[in-house]
Amino acid sequence: MTIALFAGVTLRELVRRKLVAAVGLLTLAIVAFTAWGLHRLATTVVEGEPIAEPGVHAVAAGIVLLLAFLFTFAIALGAALAAAPAIANEMANGEILVLLARPIRRAEIVIGRWLGVLIALAVYVAVAGGVELLVVRLTTGYVPPHPVTALAFLCALAAVVTTAAVALASRLPAIAAGIVAAMLFGLAWIAGIIESVGLALGNQHLADAATLVALVFPSDALWRGALFALQPAAFAAVSATSSTTNVNPFSVTAPPPPAMLVWAGGWVIAVLIAGIVSVRRRDL
Amino acid sequence: MRSAGLLAMPDDDAIVARSLAKRYGRVVALHDLTLRVGPGECLGFLGPNGAGKSTALKMLLGLVRPTAGEATLLGRPVGERRAREGVGYLPELFRYPDWQSAREVLGFHARLIRLERAARAIDMVLDEVGLRERAADRVATYSKGMQQRLGLAVALLGEPRIVFLDEPTSALDPLGRSDVRALIERLRARKTTVFLNSHLLGEVERVCDRVCVIDGGRVVAEDTVAGLTGEELRGVRVRTDDGWHEHDVARSEIPALIARLVAQGARIHAVEPNRTSLEERFLTLVRPV
Repeated sequence: MTIALFAGVTLRELVRRKLVAAVGLLTLAIVAFTAWGLHRLATTVVEGEPIAEPGVHAVAAGIVLLLAFLFTFAIALGAALAAAPAIANEMANGEILVLLARPIRRAEIVIGRWLGVLIALAVYVAVAGGVELLVVRLTTGYVPPHPVTALAFLCALAAVVTTAAVALASRLPAIAAGIVAAMLFGLAWIAGIIESVGLALGNQHLADAATLVALVFPSDALWRGALFALQPAAFAAVSATSSTTNVNPFSVTAPPPPAMLVWAGGWVIAVLIAGIVSVRRRDL
Repeated sequence: MRSAGLLAMPDDDAIVARSLAKRYGRVVALHDLTLRVGPGECLGFLGPNGAGKSTALKMLLGLVRPTAGEATLLGRPVGERRAREGVGYLPELFRYPDWQSAREVLGFHARLIRLERAARAIDMVLDEVGLRERAADRVATYSKGMQQRLGLAVALLGEPRIVFLDEPTSALDPLGRSDVRALIERLRARKTTVFLNSHLLGEVERVCDRVCVIDGGRVVAEDTVAGLTGEELRGVRVRTDDGWHEHDVARSEIPALIARLVAQGARIHAVEPNRTSLEERFLTLVRPV
């Protein structure tokens, strides 16, 4: 009950602070621009002939992967910058004192705020991702192999960044917690690329160091899961045979191992609990 | 929403602190605070800046963990969630979300305490603090004084049995201060226990039954207002045609003194009890010579 109250007020705040409207308008602009570009591509005539369907689909598939990358960064940044103030601002402005003088648990505030941000991000992923994929289909006829799985991976990625921002915000000011969470996401992404390079070069030390980063902040496995679900099988095959000097950050050869997904799930629970304990122990 | 257990203990002290202490590293914020506040009593909690007043108050609400000691609210150990049932709190420094209206802030708190007939209760507290006309406006448009009035409304919502007020008039103009004094007097009339942190000693003197003074984290005095100011001991000042005259008499002897002066032909213009103000007493306590 109390958790639902805090989740609800978090969602209302995101709407009332015009964040939803601003992000919605910008997303609409991206979707409209994509629709226009893909429509032009599908109707382009080269030497008197329209481009053949396999060619259009190949370009559309590439654009979908790049769009997924763009949305992943937007989601990670959104998660970090929405979740951190949801916890830290209440502490900074003293409102938490009045809330905690009520017969409620500190954990209920943390979980409610976390849940509110997560619901907002999940709705954004479903609506923005769904509309974008629909536009690709309507303009080019291309549908990626596993769109729903990809969107689910993006939601999981949002959960990782949101959880990190919430835990950090239990001790840091909002801006610091948000920036650190976003930078951790960037670090994990780079580490994922370094891992690919390490594996391609046969350099185990490089690969191991990157794996360690992936365990500490497991967002990259989820990005790769989304990527694998969106890329046509032919892309994976090309990537698998590519040379060591041609590592492509927008292509993966295999989905993340199930153990890594289990780890990511456990990580979210453990870090959320750490955030709750941190808030509970804090003198206000 | 209160349990039968709580209602079964009407005679218990509302607030009890036993040897409460707080240390932040090497800094001791509060030494050994022991006090009791009875149901319906109004306690003034005084001390200079940095004396440990807000720390003590936050410990009583479970917002700061004591390094030592224990406390209860309405018979329940502080820290237990249910100890905070029936408690209202106005912090010294706070800001409500600027995107909400006063009515929305109060509505949220009403849901947090599962208040029945919330709309009526919200109207009542809005009237009580004089904010009803602006209740639908966003907090962002409020002056500091109006935000403090909203804070008071939140503290009073649901007719709590204990109200903690931390500098309730710090952002208010003289009119607002007078309103708050009247409000505290209404709380006393309703037998609500009031724990009042304030720098405004005149205010405390007027509304509180008892006063606890702390300095440097230690209790330096605790007594009734009359006990602290020594009202019974200092006689009266009488103004006659030729000015003020001091008379060292007990309070009970004042009528006889006046009768005697009149019988001797004096024309009495004014009679004032000659007592130490709380402010004078406070200064001697926290700034010993």
